[in-house]
Amino acid sequence: MSGVMRILASLVVIAIVAVALGVWYIRGPGPLDFAGGTKVALADYRAGKPTGVPASLEKASLVERGEWLAKAADCMVCHTKPGEKEYSGGLGFKLPFGMLYSTNITPDKETGIGNYSDQDFLNAVRRGKRHDGARLYPAMPYASYAYMTDEDVLAVKAYLFSLPPVRAKAPENTLSFPFNQRWAMIFWSAVFNPDTRFTPDTSKSPEWNRGAYLAEALAHCGECHTPRNLGFALDNRKKFAGAITAGWRAFNISSDKATGLGNWRDQDLISYLSLGHAAGHGSASGPMGEAVDHSFSQFAPEDIRAIVVYLRSVPPQPSPDLPAVTAPAAPASHRDGVTADARGKRVFASACVSCHGWSGESPMSPMATLTGTWAVNDPAAINVAQIVLSGTKRHTPDGALSMPAFGNAYTDDEIAAVANYVTARFGTEGSKLTAKDVAELREQTAE
Amino acid sequence: MATTLTINGERKTLDAPPEMPLLWVLRDILGMTGTKFGCGIAQCGACTVHVDGKAVRSCVLPVSAVENRAITTVEAVGNTPAGAKVQKAWLDLEVIQCGYCQSGQIMAAAALLAATPNPDDSDIDAAMAGNICRCGTYVRIREAIKQAASGRQS
Repeated sequence: MSGVMRILASLVVIAIVAVALGVWYIRGPGPLDFAGGTKVALADYRAGKPTGVPASLEKASLVERGEWLAKAADCMVCHTKPGEKEYSGGLGFKLPFGMLYSTNITPDKETGIGNYSDQDFLNAVRRGKRHDGARLYPAMPYASYAYMTDEDVLAVKAYLFSLPPVRAKAPENTLSFPFNQRWAMIFWSAVFNPDTRFTPDTSKSPEWNRGAYLAEALAHCGECHTPRNLGFALDNRKKFAGAITAGWRAFNISSDKATGLGNWRDQDLISYLSLGHAAGHGSASGPMGEAVDHSFSQFAPEDIRAIVVYLRSVPPQPSPDLPAVTAPAAPASHRDGVTADARGKRVFASACVSCHGWSGESPMSPMATLTGTWAVNDPAAINVAQIVLSGTKRHTPDGALSMPAFGNAYTDDEIAAVANYVTARFGTEGSKLTAKDVAELREQTAE
Repeated sequence: MATTLTINGERKTLDAPPEMPLLWVLRDILGMTGTKFGCGIAQCGACTVHVDGKAVRSCVLPVSAVENRAITTVEAVGNTPAGAKVQKAWLDLEVIQCGYCQSGQIMAAAALLAATPNPDDSDIDAAMAGNICRCGTYVRIREAIKQAASGRQS
């Protein structure tokens, strides 16, 4: 080998090593690496059964078990367009590089998954590989579902195949180049989806292991609550530190005392997950409201407790942009307290005060109390603006509670003004949203 | 589901799904039609009633949220000192035009005077901005609230 060849060969080797190191660095730790305990294969784990349905459903039919698992994995919310048949797809996700539509997962042979074999379904759910060999985008959280057992994935399939087939073809995606190149997801999967099943951790309690399976394999909490890295994969160095997904802020759910869940009492977490509301912490709305209504509210009490045990073990990750303490209730009179934004106050007086009160403590229902919520204590006011734009409708055991959507009633300028007023009056720091910010938030919500 | 409500001081037991808005219970089940249906989304104020003395919109208030709380409607607001003053001022000044929004206006005004006996314009704005009047009686409403507060005769 000549000198030149030798130098070239060395450069190639150096380049390969550099790329490998870069990939290794960007990939970072896996979702459960923080626990660091001894892992055993599921088949060898004797302390409990972390996977599958709760004990009360152990004897239920395959389809019934699949129905519970499909709810626990929250398949329906993404695979249903509002007003259309359940699981028939077509919900549009607005991404910075175009629209992505969810698919029909009813057993229709032409437009759904009616032709999927068991292996096809396993490949799609855990490896992001479609029946025809094409790759799925990771908006489908297959890197999380990869933890699911064969048994659980196939129970979901049995449930979906028990549903009436719906003929519904999702609109074509409108992603721009290079994001429209599905084949490129082969590389994404190779780097970011290890495609390995859940392995119990013998250094942790059976309850923790159950919680880990529920939170990671099924509920896929990290898909919204963990920030993403350069490759749009979860950055587990900042596990559960909070992120913005579909235009809503998913707040910090790490064990950080000030800005995470560290100061929430167990009963608050249980109440928030199972009812979508915890006194002093506010109510779930937006994507989390859907997750509670369609998924967590169906969980057995012991499963909710297992998730709480698991969440408590996630290392603290501070959110430096959030205040250490949320603001107390505002004064009862409109005269007292912050009146920074006269226009915002006018909108609040017309449209908001009858339910939320001047103090932020709702005269109607604790569900509508603003005091203590992260939404009003977020100086970026993202979720305040979003809920004003799109409203909320929650189903609780005590009945439905809803807030109307004001997106078509008020201009972006008025919505910015009222969000700035609300965060200044009920939070620790007023936001500085502009009409342009609100217009951008409108662009990000799923439709 | 059997629900017991305290309306205008009387206990009433009735059958209603927990998510049914209080307005439906009042109008359709109890036949108390003084409270009006306007927009159905808490944006016009026509359905205003008092719960524990505070003005709330009954069209978005599930009945399950008001068990064990004191509900007052326009049928009985005249029994409260503030409500009596408001109703008298309303008649003295001929506030009402078509009248559809007025039971809500009276309820909002009575709650305002009960909490703030001498309201100025900004208090009236803060309390009444969510009560819409298609006939545009706002000038007379403001005047009547001031008269009710001062007790002077027209």
